[in-house]
Amino acid sequence: MKIIKDKVAKLSFVALLITMTAAMFYAPTASAHGEKSQAAFMRMRTIHWFDLNWSKEEVPVNDTMTISGKFLVFAGWPETVDKPEVSFLNIGIPGPVFIRAGSWIGGQLVPRSVSLELGEVYEFKVLLKARRPGDWHVHSMMNVQGGGPIIGPGKWVTITGSMSEFVNPVTTLTGQTIDLETYGLDNVYFWHAVWFAIAIAWLMFWFKRPIFVPRHIAVSTGKADTLISAGDKKVGMLFAVGTMVIVAASMGATNEKYPVTTPLQAGLLRGMKTYQMPEATVSVKVDDATYRVPGRAMQMTLTITNNGDSAVRLGEFNTAGVRFLDPAVHEDETAYPDDLLAEEGLTVSDNSPLAPGETRTVEVTASDAAWEVYRLADLIYDPDSRFAGLLFFWDESGNRQLVTVDAPLIPSFI
Amino acid sequence: MSASQSAVRSRAEAVQVSRTFDWMILFTLFVTVLGGYHIHYMLTGGDWDFWTDWKDRRLWVTVAPIVSITFPAAVQACLWWRYKLPVGATVSVVALMLGEWINRYMNFWGWTYFPVNFVFPSNLIPGAIVLDVVLMLGNSMTLTAVVGGLAYGLLFYPGNWPVIAPLHVPVEYNGMMMTLADLQGYHYVRTGTPEYIRMVEKGTLRTFGKDVAPVSAFFSGFVSIIIYFLWHFFGRWFAKTDFIADDAS
Ligand SMILES: [Cu+2]
Repeated sequence: MKIIKDKVAKLSFVALLITMTAAMFYAPTASAHGEKSQAAFMRMRTIHWFDLNWSKEEVPVNDTMTISGKFLVFAGWPETVDKPEVSFLNIGIPGPVFIRAGSWIGGQLVPRSVSLELGEVYEFKVLLKARRPGDWHVHSMMNVQGGGPIIGPGKWVTITGSMSEFVNPVTTLTGQTIDLETYGLDNVYFWHAVWFAIAIAWLMFWFKRPIFVPRHIAVSTGKADTLISAGDKKVGMLFAVGTMVIVAASMGATNEKYPVTTPLQAGLLRGMKTYQMPEATVSVKVDDATYRVPGRAMQMTLTITNNGDSAVRLGEFNTAGVRFLDPAVHEDETAYPDDLLAEEGLTVSDNSPLAPGETRTVEVTASDAAWEVYRLADLIYDPDSRFAGLLFFWDESGNRQLVTVDAPLIPSFI
Repeated sequence: MSASQSAVRSRAEAVQVSRTFDWMILFTLFVTVLGGYHIHYMLTGGDWDFWTDWKDRRLWVTVAPIVSITFPAAVQACLWWRYKLPVGATVSVVALMLGEWINRYMNFWGWTYFPVNFVFPSNLIPGAIVLDVVLMLGNSMTLTAVVGGLAYGLLFYPGNWPVIAPLHVPVEYNGMMMTLADLQGYHYVRTGTPEYIRMVEKGTLRTFGKDVAPVSAFFSGFVSIIIYFLWHFFGRWFAKTDFIADDAS
């Protein structure tokens, strides 16, 4: 007997391990740090995030913050990625450390998927309510059906306090205010406990008698009929009828308690309001572009023409959320994440104001460790080695204009 | 039984060993079914079972019974035709739901912090009990498939409604009407589950208007009948002992 008991113990342990493994098989974890592993061309040629602002760097539990800004749906969207006809404005955080209290594109609430147009700029805002304390990397993010997640820039935000204090009050259309964090939980546990109890009662009705060996012997010797008695059948009937009665009664009681219910809401939102950037009066032609691997710098030769009536200077090159600035023209005042900001990363061979009507060819260098850190340099290994980004010009009265560039890139290894 | 190598010395001891055997086999069966059924159900039913904002009147009602009648049918085939034990469906479903609860509680809540009222599993027990009783009373695979399979599909939605209904109460949120379940899906951010992959309230049953859930349940019941046959045969084949010596006779 002792040997058998040992074996049972050993077997139980193995089985427990298998159970654990099976249970651990799935956890919907979402690492917010996929940004660097995403192909460089995806980040450079799909959604360009700019004017981003994280309203806070530290938020107590239950307080809110916003991420706001604009994004340009790049006109030169890669062929290999599905067009953003069905897209969802998401937020890149590791699970629900914040709740998404609201999200808007062009002032329209977007709890559903939306259809975006290539070449357009949209204004967006996401309202987040702090839930779980910790340091979290908070990214803007756009999911595109057939294209996957397109992760925007991320910034570290600290949530302070205790998650046990988190509340999520919501007022229903039937007039009750509930805490969605725990709403209906007792009801879930209650009904699952009831049904588990009924199921276990049915199982124990059979398992309290000898099971496998004697029953197998009876079945194989042709005495199967003796194994189910008239009493068993009666108990079975009771369970089946009881089950149906409980299902019907609990359903009726539920309908009485919740007379107003609606189906889940779904559907695509179209015709999102676009944001009108001031008409660009500067035109830019990319003569050539090279990426110098040892210097971690991109060099481009641009022919810039000013068709406007005010002199302009190039102040910023923005690609994949990395911002290269010429401090003589523009400085960041939004506390943009350090690792994505090259405050003096942009050098222009001649950045004196370009007078109206004038055309000039300049050498522009965007250099920063971010090329390597954010693996943007990997685009030289892409099948279609192109770069793309946003150029921002400022005129004499401080007005900004946006010009996009999209051109082939030649790597240089020496 | 040969006298030379008997493991037991008395009838009482034989009974005791047989009983120990019962629990060992039951435990092993339970854990094996838990693992296999759980993975099968996650791969086929997946998101429909994970999140309340997927538990709609059309697809969840249709998909969940169809993909979950599989293991109950197979385990019934083994336990009924070999042991005349009418518990195959209930054992399977209890194992599955226990595994799901462990997963939802430990991983979804404990590890990722999704509230439990957003990620609890569906209730499959009412259908399973009826499936077992029909097999016991009718002693027929065809009858169990037709009557039991249909009942399994039909009982699913009402069996879950007491838990789901409170989450289908509507709210007005920033000028949009949605259910509390929709709001859970919106509030509790899932980076990897964007809204557009949510397959709810889609299909060709629009003409039935408001009463779409019963129609979906009937459809699910009919398909469950077919799936039941299929998996019952799998179970029978799996429970064959041709490949080991028949030492019970
Ligand atoms: Cu990150």
